Amino acid sequence: MAEQKLGNPAVVGLAGFGLTTLVLQFHNVGWMPSIGPVVWLGLIFGGLAQLIAGLQEQKTGNNFGYCAFTSYGAFWIALAVMLIANKFDLFKAGTEDVGWFLVAWTLFTAILWVGSLRIHGAMALTFTLLLAGFILLDLAHFGYPQLTVVAGYTLIACALMAWYMMARIILNEIYGRELLPAGKPWA
Amino acid sequence: MGKTPFALAGLVLTLGFAPAAGWAQDSAGSVSTAIAASATEVMAKVREAAQYLKEKGLAGFADFNNNKDARWVWKDSYVFVYSCRDDVMIAHPLRPDLVGKPILQMRDDKGTALFQEMCKASDNPNGGWVEYWWPKPGEAKASRKISYVHSAPVSFKSDIQVGAGIYDEKLTASDLSKIVEDTAKPQKAVP
Repeated sequence: MAEQKLGNPAVVGLAGFGLTTLVLQFHNVGWMPSIGPVVWLGLIFGGLAQLIAGLQEQKTGNNFGYCAFTSYGAFWIALAVMLIANKFDLFKAGTEDVGWFLVAWTLFTAILWVGSLRIHGAMALTFTLLLAGFILLDLAHFGYPQLTVVAGYTLIACALMAWYMMARIILNEIYGRELLPAGKPWA
Repeated sequence: MGKTPFALAGLVLTLGFAPAAGWAQDSAGSVSTAIAASATEVMAKVREAAQYLKEKGLAGFADFNNNKDARWVWKDSYVFVYSCRDDVMIAHPLRPDLVGKPILQMRDDKGTALFQEMCKASDNPNGGWVEYWWPKPGEAKASRKISYVHSAPVSFKSDIQVGAGIYDEKLTASDLSKIVEDTAKPQKAVP
């Protein structure tokens, strides 16, 4: 039997990560008043779809993708559930509580950031922007709320970089050549 | 024990007359306003409300409309919550009709775009005072009102402001800014 070609789960993982991140930043920079779309995208696309993509990465033997997609998928689900619970006064999380939640995710991101530096330039840039966005959000939750907007623009760039990597995998395959380059690793 | 009332009466008699001007500044300066909220009360309530929202998050908004325990409506004043960025009234315990409505286009009887002024004032890290015309609770006719506004950090909903006001004929926003500066100092002294 000829070996069946498998799709790359990263395309869906990056799509869900990028799109949900992008929509949350539409809120953070002030274009989208409601947080509503973020809750539902966070549960389904950023959460469930990315989580499944992560679990599929496991089968490809890619630990980085396995850990990153599964974890950030879980991040979105946790964030969406926290928003819903907060609304109903269940385990309410105040601004500083959410700040500490973000600090933990910042530390986690820092570890993956070190890994990303050795993958390729696009991955290194994506994770650098993600780490910077998290740090800015941490500061925003601990006394500098005006940094939310700066974090918003940083993470919009991060989300678009994630989509660049998604586009790279899809388009390079369809066009059969290196249409979009990944760039050299930073380390 | 029996001496306490006399001592208090003495204190009131001796202190009550001399600094009448300063006293007036604090109690809205009118004989008939025994139930009038004072400037310092309003500032304390607004800061308390900002802290409350910071701890409670989105769920806290509803409490300002419900006013379950009269915490946010007292004497002739009340706390209202709005968002300048989203251009919306989030909570107003006495005017449920305004909740969810745009605010920036609102003008008072003198043509002041009161919420645009309040948005400017709440940009100040210590909050600020805005003068405009607004009816007292239970009245239809607008009175001169001076409100203290302050921004409140709330997770998942950045750019929230809270405010509360006093009804007063004489005080000016710049008089009151001095109180803001004075009360802000001890906060800054804490590292």
